[in-house]
Amino acid sequence: MDLLENIKRITSAYGVSGDEYGVSAIAAEMMAPAVDRVEIDRFGNVYGYRSAAAENAKTVMISTHIDQIGLLVTKVTDEGFLKFTDIGVDPRMLPAARMRVVTESGEYLGVVISTPPHIQTGDKSAVPAPKDMAIDVGMTGEEAKKIFRVGDYAYFDSEMEELAGDVISGKAYDDRLCFCSVLDGIASIKDKPLPVNLVFVGSTKEEVGSHGALAAAHKILPDLAIAVDVCHARTPDNSPSDMVSEFGGGAAIGIGPESLPVLARRAMEIARAKDIPYQVDPIPAGSGTDASAIQRAADGIATLVLSLPIKYMHSPVETVRMCDVKALSRLIAALLLGCGEQGGLI
Amino acid sequence: MNEMLKELCQLNGTSGYEDEVREYIKKKAEPYADDMYTDAVGNLLVFKRGEKRRIRPLMVCAHMDEVGFLVQSVNPDGTLRITGRGMDPRILIGKRMRVNGKTPGVISTKAVHLTTAEERKKAPALHQLFLDIGATSREQALSMVKPGDPVTPYGPYVEFGSGCVMSKAIDDRVGCYAELEIMKQDLEYDTWFVFSVCEEIGGTGAAAAARAIDPGVLVNLEGTTAGDMPGVKMPHGSTEMRKGPAISLIDRGTVYPRELRDKMTAKATELGIRWQYRASANGGTDAGKVHIAASGCLAIGVSNPTRYIHCASSVAYLDDIEEMVRLTGMIIREAGECNV
Repeated sequence: MDLLENIKRITSAYGVSGDEYGVSAIAAEMMAPAVDRVEIDRFGNVYGYRSAAAENAKTVMISTHIDQIGLLVTKVTDEGFLKFTDIGVDPRMLPAARMRVVTESGEYLGVVISTPPHIQTGDKSAVPAPKDMAIDVGMTGEEAKKIFRVGDYAYFDSEMEELAGDVISGKAYDDRLCFCSVLDGIASIKDKPLPVNLVFVGSTKEEVGSHGALAAAHKILPDLAIAVDVCHARTPDNSPSDMVSEFGGGAAIGIGPESLPVLARRAMEIARAKDIPYQVDPIPAGSGTDASAIQRAADGIATLVLSLPIKYMHSPVETVRMCDVKALSRLIAALLLGCGEQGGLI
Repeated sequence: MNEMLKELCQLNGTSGYEDEVREYIKKKAEPYADDMYTDAVGNLLVFKRGEKRRIRPLMVCAHMDEVGFLVQSVNPDGTLRITGRGMDPRILIGKRMRVNGKTPGVISTKAVHLTTAEERKKAPALHQLFLDIGATSREQALSMVKPGDPVTPYGPYVEFGSGCVMSKAIDDRVGCYAELEIMKQDLEYDTWFVFSVCEEIGGTGAAAAARAIDPGVLVNLEGTTAGDMPGVKMPHGSTEMRKGPAISLIDRGTVYPRELRDKMTAKATELGIRWQYRASANGGTDAGKVHIAASGCLAIGVSNPTRYIHCASSVAYLDDIEEMVRLTGMIIREAGECNV
């Protein structure tokens, strides 16, 4: 299984929060060779199960979310433009962004309108509000109304591209790159006996509050859950107070109330012992990951947060270093194999 | 798929760096040219003999350059600063670029999660943005690019919607396209086809060509602003997509002579060619410098109504473009009567 091919495939798939079924099917297909069996629930959550070598083993759930940010059509205007509201999209990314609109009769290309400098009026540095933007689908009102409906979703039209060195750029890296990294880690230990039962979850609706992970946690009731998500890598425009990780600095191990220090410290020990590049990501309050929901599920579930540093999160050009993807993958494998041993996570 | 239009739009050529565009056009024009040369500033001048001579030449002009940037400097972390004008910095965030037409890079900002309420309301200015080519050190970046290298927006050519096209550089490859199409036809009068440089920084290229040719009539071909989208204050006076090519009344550089314009619009109407006025005084074209170069000439401006010009995803209507070819062909024919 080629990691880069997997990344290309799953980040090209459509699955905005609430409408993940397409990407769920792809995630399930990708998981299948690495686990004993896969399952998709009504939510679109994907589960990959792998049993421990021994009976009565504990259960570890790893959650990466497979939904992506997007837009929701609210009106088709008489002039053929689509008005929209946003699901997690940063409005600053929208002017002139190419979008794919998902309709009953297939996907259509469009572009978010922008006013050229020649005819601009008013404040020229103001970010337009989503309510003032629209998608141009290149049709007249009459034509557009036959195809587009209120409630159609849209997502960024952006393919994966390789930049210098081991840097790649594209959309939906949050969080499908973590899905690919974790899958790579799990696949790498396919032939080794597992000390724990593993449930690898491709969760849904994270961008709107981790609804998928919450349902998964209730269903699985794991002894330990690891939420794997992206974190912010440093960019030149950060302010000194921004909590950022180093790009290329290895897997980020979260530490704080949602990434229990007792677990985080063990994870760091294991990373050091196995010579896996890692960095510490202090998370003083809400992690903004699936861990927030999972920790609160049922009688309370112990959670650990692992993160992949990416630049430009929630943009169509999220950017990552493959060395970090590999470090995270190796850490996942090491943490799973280390369970049940002295100093293991569980 | 209109292959030639696609190829033209996808070529990279910011002002002063039009070489790729010129080489392509040279190849396409070669079979039809009776004379062809590149002048000192980089304009490509193509002469095609017609059935009849003119007292002073007729010049058709479209510009080869597109809006873009230059690498200004390399930051210690391997990102690049860029400089240039013509594009609203607000449409650069979250977009892809090409350095030297090949090295990919992205422009974005720190994630929305890290912004203040104030930062979310106000878009960064160009000098606050940076281009990320994936280099993680200044040395690595300098092994790939250097200051002065041209940066063009990445905007693939796609035909979409009902008869529309989306691409970068429609302004003014659409004009280059029209010139190449007309050149294939048998012409009634001798014609100079000029493919100019540096229109986006003030029309300096076309002015040099005009001084060399000293035309009596200029037909200037452009991609112009269409204002038919939500939020644009009416009446903006600019054009509307799907309404045919636009004939200019006035812009920042030129008041287009009425007699020639009226004659041409009347003839177009008579022949059933769709056309509209471009009635906005905003913007400028090569005509501004050309019509006052050398002995001066009569100028007529023909533009394709293009939504979101100066953007990597401009939108035009393919039938408008074909109608622009028809209209321009007609003008070359009819302007022969204005044989000054």
